[in-house]
This record gives sequence, C-alpha cells and structure tokens, in this order.
Amino acid sequence: MFDFFVRSLDASTIFTIAALGELIGQRSGILNVGVEGVMLFGATIGFIVAKTTGSYLLGFLVAIAIGGLIGLLHGFFSITLGGDQVVNGMGIWILGFGLTAYIGYPYTGPLGMDRIPDVLGLSPFFFVGIALIMIAWFVLSKTNLGLKIRSVGENPSVAEVSGINVTKTRYLGVVTSGMFMGLAGAIYSLDYNPVWNYNFLMGWGFIALALVFFSMWNPFILLGGSILFGSLWQLSLNPELVLPGVLSRYIWRTVPFAITIGVLVLMSTKWFSSRWGAAKPEALGQPYEKE
Amino acid sequence: MKLGGYEVKLEKKVSFTGWQAALISILAILFALLLVGFIFLQAGVNPVIGYKEIFSYGFLNAFGLPLTINRAIFLLLCAFAFIVPMRAGLWNIGMAGQLYAGALGAFAVAFAFGAKGAQHSELSPGIVIPAMIAGAAVAGMVVGAIPGLLKGRFNTNEIVVTMMINFIAFWLVAHMIKEGGPFMGSGGEGEGFKLPESIQPLLFEGIPFTIWIALGLAVLLYFVFAKTKIGYQIRAFGLNPLAARYAGISPFKISLLVFMVGGIIAGLAGYHYFATVPGVYKITKNYGDFGDLAFYGIICGLISQGNPLAAIPLALLFGGLTNGGRFVQGKLQLGFGIDYALLGVLMIILVAFQFFFRYKIVWKQIEKEKKDV
Amino acid sequence: MPTEIKRGDTVLVAKGITKRYPGLVANDHIDFEIKAGEIHAILGENGAGKTTLMKILFGLVQPDEGEIYVFGRKVHFRSPLDAIDLGIGMVHQNRKLIHAHSVIENIMLGHPNAGNILNLKRAAEEITELCDRYGYKLDLKAKVWHLSEGEKQVVEILKALYRGAKILILDEPTSALAPPETEKLLASIQIMTGDELAIVPFITHKLPIVLSVSHRVTVLRRGKVISRINTADATENSLAKEMVGREVIFRLERVADVEKGKPILQVENLSAFNDKGFLALKGVSFSAHEGEIFGIAGVSGNGQQVLAEVLAGLRKAAGGKVLIDGIDITNSTSLQRWQNGMGYIPSEQRAVGSIGDFSLVENMLMNYYFDAGFSKWGIMDSKKIRSLTEELISEYGVATPNPDVSAKSLSGGNLQKLILARVLSRKPRLLIVNLPTQGLDVGATEFVQNKLLEAKKARAGVLLISEDLDEIMSLSDRIAPIYEGEFMGIIPGKSAEREIVGALMAGLQQKAVEI
Repeated sequence: MFDFFVRSLDASTIFTIAALGELIGQRSGILNVGVEGVMLFGATIGFIVAKTTGSYLLGFLVAIAIGGLIGLLHGFFSITLGGDQVVNGMGIWILGFGLTAYIGYPYTGPLGMDRIPDVLGLSPFFFVGIALIMIAWFVLSKTNLGLKIRSVGENPSVAEVSGINVTKTRYLGVVTSGMFMGLAGAIYSLDYNPVWNYNFLMGWGFIALALVFFSMWNPFILLGGSILFGSLWQLSLNPELVLPGVLSRYIWRTVPFAITIGVLVLMSTKWFSSRWGAAKPEALGQPYEKE
Repeated sequence: MKLGGYEVKLEKKVSFTGWQAALISILAILFALLLVGFIFLQAGVNPVIGYKEIFSYGFLNAFGLPLTINRAIFLLLCAFAFIVPMRAGLWNIGMAGQLYAGALGAFAVAFAFGAKGAQHSELSPGIVIPAMIAGAAVAGMVVGAIPGLLKGRFNTNEIVVTMMINFIAFWLVAHMIKEGGPFMGSGGEGEGFKLPESIQPLLFEGIPFTIWIALGLAVLLYFVFAKTKIGYQIRAFGLNPLAARYAGISPFKISLLVFMVGGIIAGLAGYHYFATVPGVYKITKNYGDFGDLAFYGIICGLISQGNPLAAIPLALLFGGLTNGGRFVQGKLQLGFGIDYALLGVLMIILVAFQFFFRYKIVWKQIEKEKKDV
Repeated sequence: MPTEIKRGDTVLVAKGITKRYPGLVANDHIDFEIKAGEIHAILGENGAGKTTLMKILFGLVQPDEGEIYVFGRKVHFRSPLDAIDLGIGMVHQNRKLIHAHSVIENIMLGHPNAGNILNLKRAAEEITELCDRYGYKLDLKAKVWHLSEGEKQVVEILKALYRGAKILILDEPTSALAPPETEKLLASIQIMTGDELAIVPFITHKLPIVLSVSHRVTVLRRGKVISRINTADATENSLAKEMVGREVIFRLERVADVEKGKPILQVENLSAFNDKGFLALKGVSFSAHEGEIFGIAGVSGNGQQVLAEVLAGLRKAAGGKVLIDGIDITNSTSLQRWQNGMGYIPSEQRAVGSIGDFSLVENMLMNYYFDAGFSKWGIMDSKKIRSLTEELISEYGVATPNPDVSAKSLSGGNLQKLILARVLSRKPRLLIVNLPTQGLDVGATEFVQNKLLEAKKARAGVLLISEDLDEIMSLSDRIAPIYEGEFMGIIPGKSAEREIVGALMAGLQQKAVEI
C-alpha cells in the first residue's frame, strides 16, 4: 500500500512539472497544446544521452536544454511569426512524436543504469516539483517580474504602453515553459520508468494540458490535481488494490483518460466556468502585433 | 530591411489565390523532403538513392503500387475525418480512436454472424459486408459524437478530449483482441480473428472497393461544402463562430454534426484497413502503427486547406512515401520509423510555412529623398 | 526633467508635424504648444487628424516631418516609454488597463521604482497621497473590472501622475462618463492646473466641456490647424463652425409622427446575467409599438448589451418574458426569431455582424440561408442570392468594386451599410439596433439614421440602443434611460429635456414619468 502511495507521488511529479511549465507559458499568453511533443523530446534525448554517456546529470541537462530549445521554436512561430498557436502546438507535438519515434528506436529497451536513489522513500524529483511550485507561485504573485509576465498574458498592448517589452517577456515565458517540460520528460524516462518505448509517454502531455485548465492557473490547485492524477494512474496499473478481479487490466488503463474527460466536463459547470473565465489570462492564444 | 537599392518589406496579405496556396504547399513538401534527406545521410544512405528507391517502390513497382493505393485510401479517409470538423474550426485529432472503434464495430458485426468460430463458413457477402460497413460507421459515429457533444454543449476542449479517446479506444482494442478477449484470433499471438474468405471483399488488381467510397466521399464533401445550406453553415461557423451564432446557426448542432460525420468516415477507414486490404483481414498485433499513421490525415487536411479534392493527390503522395519508406527501411538498412520522422518534419515545416500564407515579401525601390519646397 | 516649472512656461512645442499614410495626409504641418498650468483642447471631427497627432505626441507613431520640444529640449520618441520618461502621460479613451489586476498593480506596472519584489505598501501610501490631493477615492486593492468607467479613468490618471507626468494627454476624456463623473473629472483637472500640470484634452464633440474648462482651443480639420482660439472668445456655434466648416444644425429635423400601431414587442420583468455572472438586467418591462422608435439611452456597461442579446436570442433570460406580436418567444432560438420577423444589428460589426473572410454575397446569406425561397433540397440558389446582393449594394450605395470581395476589405461605414441592407431587406417587424452609428463619419451616420426613420415609416417597431444622447433625442418617439440594468423611466421624445435624460442615465433622479 505504501508502495502505491510512493509510486503515485512519483508519477504526480511529472505531471506537476510539465503542467507548471505550461502554466507559466499560458500566464504569459502563449498556448502550447504540444506539451506531449516537448516532453517526448526531453524524455527521448535525455534517455539517449544518459545511456550513451552513463551520466544522469548530463542526460537531465541536455533534456532541459532541448526542452528550452523546442520552447524557443514554439515561441518563434507564435510570437515572432504570430501564427495560430493551436496549429503551432500541434506541429510541435507531431514533430516530437515523429522524430522521437525514429531517433529513439535503436535505444528501445531498459536504460540499464543504477536507479537514482530515493529521498525519504520518494523520488528526489518529488521535492524538486514542490520547490518549483513554491518558487513559481512566489515569482508570479509577489515579484515585479511576475507582474510583467501576468500583464503580457492579460493585455499585451497595455503592458507595452507601460514600458514592458512584450516580446522578450513572452519568449522568457515560453523558453522557461519548455525547460520544465523537457525536465518532466526526462524524469519520466530516467527515473520513473526507465525503459524506452515508442510513444511511451502515453498521453501524459495532454493530461498535463488538461491539468493546467483545471487548475485555473493556480500553482497550488495544480499540485493537488497532479497528485490526484498520479494516484489515478497508479490505480489503473494496479486495480487489484481497489476492485480485484473486476475487468481486464486493459479496461483499467482507460480510466485516467476517461476521468480527464470527466474533469473537463466538470469545468463547464456554472461554479467552475465563471471562476475559470475570470482567471483565464485574457490574451491567451492571441498573437500580439505592435500597433 | 534594405538590400542594395531596394527595400524589402513584409506586407500583410489580404487574400491569396488557390495557385499561391498550392505553390507554397509544394515548396513546403519539397523542403521537408530535403530535411529528411539529411536523416538519410546521417544513417549512411545517399538521399538521392534513398528517394529513388522510395518512389520507385511506392509508385512504379507492381507490388508496391497497390499497397500505396491502399494506404492512400486509408489516409484519404482519415484526411476527410479531419477536414470536416476543420471546416467548422474544430480539431479532430481523434481519427485514430475513431478508426479503432470502426474496426471493432465492423468485426463485432462479423462476430455476430459467427465469423470467428468457423473460418471456412459460407457467409453471404451481400449481407455481411454492408452490415460490417454499417457497423464501422455507427461505431465511428458514436465515438466521434462524444467530443462533438461535449464541445457543443459544454465547450470542452476537443483536442484533449479526442486525444484521451484515442488512448481509451486503443486500450479497448487491446482488451478485445488480447489475452482471451472476445475477438482474439486463434493463433494466440494477441491479434484479432481473421475474416473468413467469404466475406473478404473482391479486389480489382489488389485494390478493394473502398476506393470508390473514398473518391465518392471526396466529390460529395466538396459539393456539400460549396453548394449546400449545411455546408454554408459549417463554413460560416468555422470562420466566425460569434457571427454564425448571431445568424441563428446553432453551435451545438454544428459541433455534433461535424464530429459525427468525421467519426463515421474514420470508422470507415478502420473498416478499410483491417477488413479489406489483402493480406490483412484482421485487427493486427501492431494495430497501433496504423492508428498513428492516421495523423498523416492531419497533414493532408492542413495542406489541402480543407479542400477534399485537393486531399486526393496528397493522400496518394504520402501513401507512396510511407509505403516506400517502410520498404526502404529494410532494403537500405535505415532505422525504423523513417515515415514517422517524415511526418514530424513535414508537420513542422507546414506550421512554419503558415507564415507565408499571411505575409508576402515586397521589394520596393527606395525613392530618392524629395527636396522640400 | 527640470524641477522648476513656473506657471506659464511653455512645456511642449510641436512644430510642423506631418504624417502621411497611403492616400491621405493625416497631419499636415501642425504647430502646437502648451504652457504649464494650461488646459489646451484640441478639437476636430473623426478623420481630422486628432488621433494621429495624439499618437505622435505620445510616441506611438513617428512623424514624417516636424520637431517636438519638451521643456525646451528637442526630443525624438522611439516609443511611448521615451515620452513617459520625459513626463508625458496619456489617458486613453479605451482605458488601457488590465482588468484582472488590482488598481495598485495597474499603477505599478512597468514603473521603474517597482523593485524586484513588489513593495506595495510604500507605493500604496504614496498613491493615497495623490488621491487625497486631487479628490479621488479609490480602493487600491480592488480589481479593475469591478470599477465604473469614471473610476477606471481615475486609475489611468493616477498611473500617469505616479510616473511623474507633467503633461497629461486626455483622449476623449468625457465620452464614456455620466454627467456627475464628468463634474468630478473637471474639478480634479482644475486642481492639476493649479499644480502647474499641462492638460491637453482631445475632443470630438463635447463642445460645452471645451467651453467650460479650457483656456485655449486648437481646431483641426483635414489634418491642418484651422484656427487657434482663446476659449473666452468662443461659443458653441463658432467652434462647431470651425470644426465642420459650415453652419451646423444641432438637431435633426423631427420626422412627422407616424401613427403608432399595436405593440410588436412586449417585455415583462426581464432579467439576465452578464458573462461575469452579475445580474446586468434587473426586471425590465416595456413595450415597443409598430411605427415607433423606442430609444434606450445609456452609458455603455449599464445592461443595454445584455438586453439586446437576450431579445435577439443570443443570451438566456434569467427571468421574465419576451413576446413578439403576442407570441411568447422567451425560450425560442435566435433562428426562430429571425424567421418570425425580428431583425438585429449588433454593435460589433466585424466581430459579430459580419464574416470578414466571406465575400459580400456570402455575408448576405447570413440572413438568407434559412430562407426557403433561396434553396431547394438543401442546395442553395447561388444566382438568386448574387443578384439580390448586387441589387442591395447599389440601392444602399455600398462602395465596392464587386460583390465578391471579402467583407473585411470594406470600410466601417460601407460594412454597416451592407449589414443594414441585409437585415432591412427582410422587412423585419421588430428591428433592434445597438450602437448603429458608432465610429461612423458624418455622412454614414446620416445615412443610417435615415434608414431607421424609413423603417419606422414602414411600420416596423424600432428599438434603438445608443450612447449618443443627440441621436436618441432626435430619433426617438419614446426614450428610456437605462442605468445599472434598470429603466429609469419612459419619457415621450418630443417633450424630453436633455438635462433630465442625462441625469437619469447617470442614476441621479429617481424614476421619472412612465408612459
């Protein structure tokens, strides 16, 4: 039972960090639906680097860098070129999906390295995740930088006229966001489940996206949601804990996805939707053109 | 930006012609092929030879060409499944899940007719095949209706919902064909049961009748969008949902309709691939590979700008490329998944080239400074 | 920025400002200057070049020719930031504020002294001081979207002042204000001039304001300075004459009364929520008759938009009933209302009233796709709709080379004509128009208003929602001022007095006569 608890939190870490990345990007006004693609890059390339060099550190660093780079790419399409952000995000996802399928194939299989040691029985990254949440909350709500980020996400033309460089701030948001997602992907492939397989992220990037909407851009609600989903995921892998013998294990695998849909539907109810509407960064997804 | 005596400026385009769009698309495809050529190089293969092999197998080879066409039919149907909601401004990336549902629906009908147990049973194709098609269509429609309903009623994000359903359907298929599931084939290899010969459709030169369905749909969809009341409403909604609502068009009806139609068509794609392509006739062990190939439908849809007729040559091209790519993988020792790499590169190039749809590069001779009088 | 500014010092000089756009000269060698402690108004119609000049003075736009001197030094603005640093502040007509943030966050946004970790306490003290000085009362922690228009303007003013502005540019400062808020603004402006601030209001047509508060007026027409006047020497008529170039009649000729028919629209106790979940419409009841124009006068944000949307079927009512020609249509869809003789012209032409990427013909279809006469077996009769479009384009004088251009290429006035043509050609029995002449030039405005009168003559019931009191007063048979979601009375148009309607719009007087 304790094992289940631990694994749930380990899983939740990945959701937390990936979704936090997207939250930051969205607060600055940039929507990236291709979270899965960025995570795949981080996960695959981090895995390859770690496996070939034998160094976890290098694997993580490269994954973060790649994530930032992909974030930069998304930023280029969305900010400088001002293209449709949903299309751009889909492009990032398919790029990630397609390229990593090819690049990663020769490395299919286990990582083959010693596992990263636990801290207090949990993966060390769980604490990294908590720390990042706190830092993000503090920066966004209490600092000048956070005010600037939030402003370019609400109303970029007002921010511009107040003396803020919207372009620079949004790039900062989107690159940071990519770095977080790359990190989350690497945690998946190097710590949580160190076995490479084609399409092994199993839609976690999309669940993270849903989590951001669910959290109404509040880092703490995000943390809560991630833990919930981490638990659901573990449950679906070990249904015997709750309802032994009922339904094949394949059916159980569908549960987290179905619950995500349920959560999204829940968000359309009156209670949710008016709060959600008020919390949403007003300029989310809209390209900004200087007058 | 100044170059010599000329000034280069970017001007926003007000509109662009079909020819301009076609030109940009061709450039995008060529550019993507060029980039993938680098991947060939990195794997130690001469890209020119690589492409030559791909094209000749895909389009000029007696074995390869029918395979290409079969793939093209599959991709074309997936493209339509994407295009119909796309015209309404909605993203259907759930073709994979919808086609799995279609396959399950078709095989459920076959199962109901007793096709599983008796491999050599004489079933009447005139009854069973249309029933299977109907089963595929209905199953696809039901699965497609879910994101449509949720979007129309609750405005839930269709991208996340369709993606979730992709995974749900994926696992449902696994449940049905593996480990003692009801549709499991006798070989014990974790694949679905094989259709008895009696209901394997006739082929013409290796191509099943579904080609007529695909081509017919192309014409039908083109006509519907261009000339009918409902086509107008879908297009209006896609271009400006607020204005469409103002004009009395119901967002709920449109969302539900386009996703149901998209689901039906994707369901048919599932029927086509798993029940009519020679050599298959069952839900294969690696059914996920085909599901993921459905994402090429997104690219076809985007390049064709939602024009069903323009999707035909594109589906053929990508059918040939992916088919040839698989073949060349083995022959030239390229790594697995070159067709996926191409998919990824193509998509991102297209996304980048979006830019050219909105701006044009203008060369202007800099005017000499006029003296003020 | 010099610290010693005496009253009467020239603080800003603009010489020979010229700006050309393709096809027109927006500013043509404009000279302008303002002294400390002075209120120098710039007056001009839409298209006279005010907006361009304002953007140049604030650094949003670069002039093609001309020089600007601030506090005696020649300056070149690369962006508004340069202007702000030099002490120029701007208060925008459309409130450049971030609604989701609090008042103090908006004031602090981009401020050089904001520090890395926001020191809101000290800032709050300093801002409160400013508030007291100019007679403002604001809750600094309140979120801006809760505030009234007047309060939002105060936030913008404070923002500029807190950044150290010594020259304040005001863009249409009173256009969105109800009379009492206008009084407050004028009072605080007087205090500011006492502090040697220079104020430059840019005004289109609130001439009485100009007369009562400014020291000098510069009138622009077609991009040029027409005259510079000392306000003491001017009258409303003389100013109007300078602006327009001819004698201006201030009231449209009243149309001969058409005999009122039966009630075509009956609204009983109608309530509705707005998008933010607040009750924006609170139990409104009235009826509109065939052959009358029923005017709803209100400052934007008082529930008119919500009312229009509920009547058009675009928003659900929270309570009450709506009847068209005696039939309860409260729960019917907007399509059903179109089919039953309603016509609705929304305030946002491009976002809601038309589809920019569609051709003019396809836009016409927006009101005809459901018409059985234009389609057979679901297939549309393209010839018929095309010839209808061509007919209407020429009848309404829509300036366009052909009916196949996309709607987004039409100018505002022409687009509004197209929308009018489309809706009126269906001969609606109930016509609802929301801000029909907003943003249009004089010629287009006249055209639209005449069309409304024509509709009235054709015995339609017209519901006119407008912010323009002159328009309401000259067109309406009955007037209902709306304030915070309630009708403050229903007054016969002929005998209505401008001051009383204005006061009711601002929620001042208690409900007046009911008709």
